[in-house]
Amino acid sequence: MNNSDILVIGAGVAGMEASLLLANTGKKVYLVEKESLIGGNIIKYEDVFPNMECSTCMIAPKQQEVLQNENIELLMLSTVEKVQGEIGDFTVTVKKKARYVSLVDCIGCGMCYEPCPVSLKNEFEQNLSEKKAIYVPCPGSLPNVPAIDPEYCLQLNGKKTCNACVEACAFGAINLSDKDEKIELKVGAIIVASGFDIVDPIGFPQYGYGKHPNVYTAMEVERLYASNGPTEGKITLRKGDGTPNSIAIIQCVGREQQGYCSSVCCMYSFKLAHYLKDKLPNVKIYDFHSDLCIPGKYYQKFFQDIKDEGINFIYSPVDKIKVEGNEKSLSIEYYNGKDEKEKLSTDMVILSLAMIQGKDTASLSKFLGIEQDKRGFFMNQSIQLGSVDTSKPGIFLTGCAEGPKDIQSSITQAEAAVGKVMSYFQ
Amino acid sequence: MSKKIGVYVCECGPNIADKVDIKKILAEISSLSEPPERIIITKKHKLLCSNEGQDFLADEIKKNELTHLVIAACSPRDHDITFMNVCKRTNLNPYLYKLINIREHCAWIIPDKEEATEKAIQYIRAGINRVAYQAPLTEKELDSIPDVLVIGAGIAGIESSLSLASEKRKVYLLERTSSIGGKVTKFEKILPHQGTNLDIIREKIQAVQENENIKIFTETEVDKAVGFLGNFEITLKNIHNDDQKNEFKVGAIVVATGYNLFNPEKIPRYGYGKIEDVYTSMEIEESNSKTGKILLKSGKPPRTAALIHCVGREEKGYCSRVCCNYMFKIAQYLKEKRPDIKITEFYQDLCLPNKADQEFFVDTKNKEVDFIRFKDISIKQKDKEKFIEYTKTDGKKEKIPAEMIILAPAIEPAAGSEDIAELLNISLDEMGFFQEAHQKLNPVATSIDGVFIVGSAQNPKNIPDSIMDAQAVGGKILTQLIPGVKLVPEVTISEISDAFCTGCQTCLSVCSYGAIYFDEDRNISVVNEAICRGCGNCVASCPSGAAHAKHFTSPQIYQEVLEAIR
Repeated sequence: MNNSDILVIGAGVAGMEASLLLANTGKKVYLVEKESLIGGNIIKYEDVFPNMECSTCMIAPKQQEVLQNENIELLMLSTVEKVQGEIGDFTVTVKKKARYVSLVDCIGCGMCYEPCPVSLKNEFEQNLSEKKAIYVPCPGSLPNVPAIDPEYCLQLNGKKTCNACVEACAFGAINLSDKDEKIELKVGAIIVASGFDIVDPIGFPQYGYGKHPNVYTAMEVERLYASNGPTEGKITLRKGDGTPNSIAIIQCVGREQQGYCSSVCCMYSFKLAHYLKDKLPNVKIYDFHSDLCIPGKYYQKFFQDIKDEGINFIYSPVDKIKVEGNEKSLSIEYYNGKDEKEKLSTDMVILSLAMIQGKDTASLSKFLGIEQDKRGFFMNQSIQLGSVDTSKPGIFLTGCAEGPKDIQSSITQAEAAVGKVMSYFQ
Repeated sequence: MSKKIGVYVCECGPNIADKVDIKKILAEISSLSEPPERIIITKKHKLLCSNEGQDFLADEIKKNELTHLVIAACSPRDHDITFMNVCKRTNLNPYLYKLINIREHCAWIIPDKEEATEKAIQYIRAGINRVAYQAPLTEKELDSIPDVLVIGAGIAGIESSLSLASEKRKVYLLERTSSIGGKVTKFEKILPHQGTNLDIIREKIQAVQENENIKIFTETEVDKAVGFLGNFEITLKNIHNDDQKNEFKVGAIVVATGYNLFNPEKIPRYGYGKIEDVYTSMEIEESNSKTGKILLKSGKPPRTAALIHCVGREEKGYCSRVCCNYMFKIAQYLKEKRPDIKITEFYQDLCLPNKADQEFFVDTKNKEVDFIRFKDISIKQKDKEKFIEYTKTDGKKEKIPAEMIILAPAIEPAAGSEDIAELLNISLDEMGFFQEAHQKLNPVATSIDGVFIVGSAQNPKNIPDSIMDAQAVGGKILTQLIPGVKLVPEVTISEISDAFCTGCQTCLSVCSYGAIYFDEDRNISVVNEAICRGCGNCVASCPSGAAHAKHFTSPQIYQEVLEAIR
């Protein structure tokens, strides 16, 4: 049997690219995404480096294309649970959680949020804000259709009788008796684009995350800066007097422990520095870095530009940096280029954390029958020649599921996986 | 001819209905009817984008024999395509329809209902006046050729050819030198771990040579390339004999022209070309690959070696990405040949972006290779002794002796890139590499549809990344040029009026897609409909008003604005 339908796992930038290219040839694509929205991590960023292009403006048209493409069957809130068969003939079981809101009937007016009596932490916003039990993760989410969290919804978790959202919906789009489903798909090839996660900063107590409120992760600052984020772009401290006057960015946190360079942190750290200078022109910024990983024709120029904005770059071994302090101010102990101990006090600390494999890599690896490398990412077949192939024919790797990379490389790899699929099925 | 314009207002549930006075809108719009020239039919609906709403619209179009359609609803980003499809379904040309956004532009942003209603009426009036001047446009279909020309037979070109060639798709692989394989064939081993010998590269070269769907031309250059995606006319010429030419047609072109190495003679402090036993990394690779040895001029193996990274980085203004890793490889070559050799690597930043790179670095370091981060460095000779004089990042000045000095020169654009760029009408960036269509989202494409760039022709790259590019081009071309499938070019494009064009050629200089050519015989500019994307640059720059953009003509915009400001 030679089924030429394709399963793509993950609707981030790599998964969307692969899906669109394949669907535009008339192939049927099943795009499985674990979240209630598509776009992946890129939609959390206000701008992308190095040209500081607006991220939403860049990616929203792609998201729209995915949503409108008739050949793409998008399964959100869904995870792969079982894979059997071989190239040309895979049978995949997908668990699709109930959304409780109809993708067809809902027009995204948002009238249902206000009446919902439940508030909970918004993970998409790095827990910097709250959302209702019926929610879209942030303004501008695509599809612009909310989902209900059944753990928190009073009616669904059985704590109380509540019908507030149903009553508020003018379109009859909410169905609280919606059920989880198991869906069986028959496909000929699988493209894994399941993305990455960020290492947990709690594992590095010397930098004070979790202990000192004004120590942030880079992703938190992305959302603080974002115009559709929890503060609508205002940089305010968790504790203390409003906006920071001085900020320290610490790069390479977790690199030593993970055993690899995450390749994008230098660039996004510079981007954060640029963001902060843009919003707070008088702020003092210190960037603690080790070797700069800024490969290729565009990246060094970006570094030079950021340097010219008046950022203080300090070459300092990251494992010797310590962050101490109280709610008012933070103090950074570090070794300077001459190996002398120095101290610096700042209002805010930002940690550029290592990229690690996506949370579901281990389970996916088991279901798909493909290997992980010793770092935790999926293993590609040839490190010498570069490859989107896995140990199993018909299953291909793209984007950060294979290892840390920037958007450009993720797109290239997605296109390469499509090339492999097209060669096989032509 | 009389125009019958249907205007349908969507309530969008309460979203529009509660915030604007739809009754008033309908009354005012109806009063604009001027029979028999312009008949306006108005109705409202609860939710036009719903299936029931779409059926209602289709029914209305047919029943009323509408010639034009205006919908007042949400943002075109939400449902423009939905309503265009309704038009297609009912045989109303979709370019005779217009969506007016009275939700985001009126209902959702103006708290005062009366004000919102007034604005909505104004917008709808403008839309009606525009649609009356719109013209039907039809899609065209073009035959396409699936075959591909690949320029450059290095690893990126070879892999591109292998990804593309099939029974239904011929690949013409072009190489300027006398043999295929590119620079990688000069290496002894390829990265990373423990070094892999070149067998896997040789297998690829052989696969290309044996593939009957790949035709190889060596010592050949492109003489001419004219056309567009799906249909390029190519002329090749032998570099030794201008008269020896080959002509054929392809659907796409892949530029895989590779890179050059920066000449270290340009920076005298490295002593390259002046001081004995100062080599480039490529010279060491070649010597090792050919003779299996890395020796000093004297014929002896070196007891000390200094490996200097980042040669030319500052001058070029970018990091070449591959040098750190291959310098570790060279250190390992030297250690294998003479385990007691003392090696010092001088670097500025270790650039180890791949997940396996750091492990290779640690492995090299553990073989007792010293690493020093330098600020300034120069090579000095005194009598027979050579020294590396350097300033460390802490400001301390030091010097060490070295018998052999190996430089890692920056990767720079291949010679002849300008010519190819001109020939294919694609751009180079400020560094001289080929410019991608979009830095982030479209890295192997160029501004010209059907012309692609792979490997170090686009950006300094290692072998895995070059191969990835090549396979990506496979993905792009195999999904765009499918044998037997016709191409449908953009519909809303520019056209230039023969009668008004004065032949000044301003439009040629502003067209980013190379879509306009100059007809010498008739002394006019002509738009190639297959290439034009309808950006409007030529329209804005044409001093005689000869160029206009279909679906965005001056009368259409004028009539729309006229009503909007009335």
